Amino acid sequence: MKVNSIALLGHKDHGKSTLIGSLLMQTGAATKVRIKEAEAYSKRLHRPFEPAFILDSFPEERERGMTYDTTRAEIKYKGFAFSLIDVPGHEELMKNMISGASYGETALLLVSAKSGEGIRNQTQRHLFVCSMLGIKRLIVAVNKMDLVGYSQKRFDAIGKGLAGFISAMGFEKGHVRFVPISAYKGDNLTGKSSRMEWYRGKSLIEELYDNARLKHSSKKGMLRILVQGSIPSEKAGFAAGRVVSGDVKVGERVIMLPGGEHAVVKEIVVKGRRVRSAGRGDNVALGFRDRVKGDLRGSVIYPETSHQQSSARIEALIFLTKAFTKNVSIRFNGIDVKVRGMRVNRYIDTTTGRSCSSGRISPLNAVRAELRLARKIPVERFDKAMELGRFVMYNGNKFIGIGIVTAA
Amino acid sequence: MIEQDLKVLEEKSIFIIREAGMKFKNVAALWSMGKDSTAMLALARKAFLGKMPFPVIHIDNGIDFPETYKFRQDLAKKWKLNLIVAESEIKPDLVGSACCGKNKPETLKQVMSKYGFDALIVSIRRDEHGIRSKERYFSERDKNFRWDYKNQRAELWDDYASKLDDGGHIRVHPLLDWNEIDVWRYVKQERIPVNPLYFSRDGYRYRSLGCTHCTLPLKSDAKNVSSIIKELKTTTDEERSGRSMDKEREYVMARLRALGYM
Repeated sequence: MKVNSIALLGHKDHGKSTLIGSLLMQTGAATKVRIKEAEAYSKRLHRPFEPAFILDSFPEERERGMTYDTTRAEIKYKGFAFSLIDVPGHEELMKNMISGASYGETALLLVSAKSGEGIRNQTQRHLFVCSMLGIKRLIVAVNKMDLVGYSQKRFDAIGKGLAGFISAMGFEKGHVRFVPISAYKGDNLTGKSSRMEWYRGKSLIEELYDNARLKHSSKKGMLRILVQGSIPSEKAGFAAGRVVSGDVKVGERVIMLPGGEHAVVKEIVVKGRRVRSAGRGDNVALGFRDRVKGDLRGSVIYPETSHQQSSARIEALIFLTKAFTKNVSIRFNGIDVKVRGMRVNRYIDTTTGRSCSSGRISPLNAVRAELRLARKIPVERFDKAMELGRFVMYNGNKFIGIGIVTAA
Repeated sequence: MIEQDLKVLEEKSIFIIREAGMKFKNVAALWSMGKDSTAMLALARKAFLGKMPFPVIHIDNGIDFPETYKFRQDLAKKWKLNLIVAESEIKPDLVGSACCGKNKPETLKQVMSKYGFDALIVSIRRDEHGIRSKERYFSERDKNFRWDYKNQRAELWDDYASKLDDGGHIRVHPLLDWNEIDVWRYVKQERIPVNPLYFSRDGYRYRSLGCTHCTLPLKSDAKNVSSIIKELKTTTDEERSGRSMDKEREYVMARLRALGYM
């Protein structure tokens, strides 16, 4: 069964973990032991039952009532499976949010309707990052409707407040949905609530179901194999890698970038068996007619006829969780490449999506910039070849941000 | 229990196991002879041209089931495993989680340092336990085996943790995404040999295997892999309900894992 990955988004305390906990209970996916354990702990903290404790398993998370790190839980509905990815809302934990959300195909944004909560910095920042991660489908759940008397006015106001930002972030307009819910009380989660007669739309789970039925475009594309490294063998040695687009056949002439070596595919091994061809998603081991020298880790295999080139200059949209320092490198396709210089073209405030004239690079905001790299890499535009258009940024061994390539 | 696409799970696991092999100089894999770590061995063989490329460690406290030892011997021979048996002494004054929390990690520390392993493949799954569900695919452990779970590194876009400079190691979790039922479906699809203790005898079978001191069988009539899969489709019991350490106070697992337990 295909599992649809849903990344939860939203400001802290707007109810992400509680929503997943409630969905697990309402769909019967939470085991008795997990529920009992969450009950016992709620009692120990002298609190009413907290469904979030089914997800928040660290002692610190429960005691402080906030999610520290990402996790996933699965539910089933009408023959579809959903993996709900919980993430922390706190801005200091953006690295954990990104780690979780990066596995999402659709975003489920929570906005609390409660007075004093509403649309907050992290509401928009999460949407900004989510859009960078390549997630284009969005469901907005307006939560805590029970605390505002199930007010349609409040619901509409939040929808209006977000509409501009959502469309600026490039979400697929026709598919964006707004659902008023109470994650805690269970309204509009798996059935229509009788307390919001004014709401004509579907329950949250029905929206997830409709979303799962939408087709994902599946262009086959040109052959691209990301090489992880070499597997030695008695005779020749194999290049181990993953086909991310197109397919590869025995006898095919290929070129490896950035080295530029030409080769002819002699053998293809998939899962220990010799095959004639392999396609997208396959982890392959390729043997070549002539021995290919050197360390192939980080190389990309293209058809010989492709005009693909390597580049040491790229333009990128970059989101930083930490300050940008002198000693920055990018991790791209498994290898580290030093950044020699960066020229910022635009500073972006991730809570508004607009340019800001601050003139400095600040954590939790973004830049459009030109990077000068220490060496050439086979990079492509993110919107053209996702796996070859994205990188993670490090200062030494410390994660400082992510980037997507807008021009190479 | 949700049955996922085995092809997707399999490819991801192969990618992760290969990544461990490419990134680290000296990788080992833990093998308990249970279904998960045996499925992991099958995946590692697929990843590396049909041959298990890493040494396989069994932390042997001497009180595993006789069937388990027999299974170890047979499969190690059949799959030509480079098996390291690390003997762990059971201390009579330690019981339950204290026993698991002390004996096994201590022995593991010794064997890791003796051979200088910098990465260890461990076949935990997210659906086993709330704490395990918060893990990364590549997870850092310091030189004392501690897991700093409040400060895990970012992990996205197939970019995984590299070697640590401080003498620690990386735990590699290729089966993190799998559900219990997926492992059994894969065992069936690939005809992977499994420990006979999983199959029902006199109305009972083991669903999760530990040592003889702390593992209890559960009521079941499932005598083969297909019946186990059928049983799992409808069960509401926890997989590890026969493991006594999971029944102790909350956070036993949190404490154990923070201290280096698998």
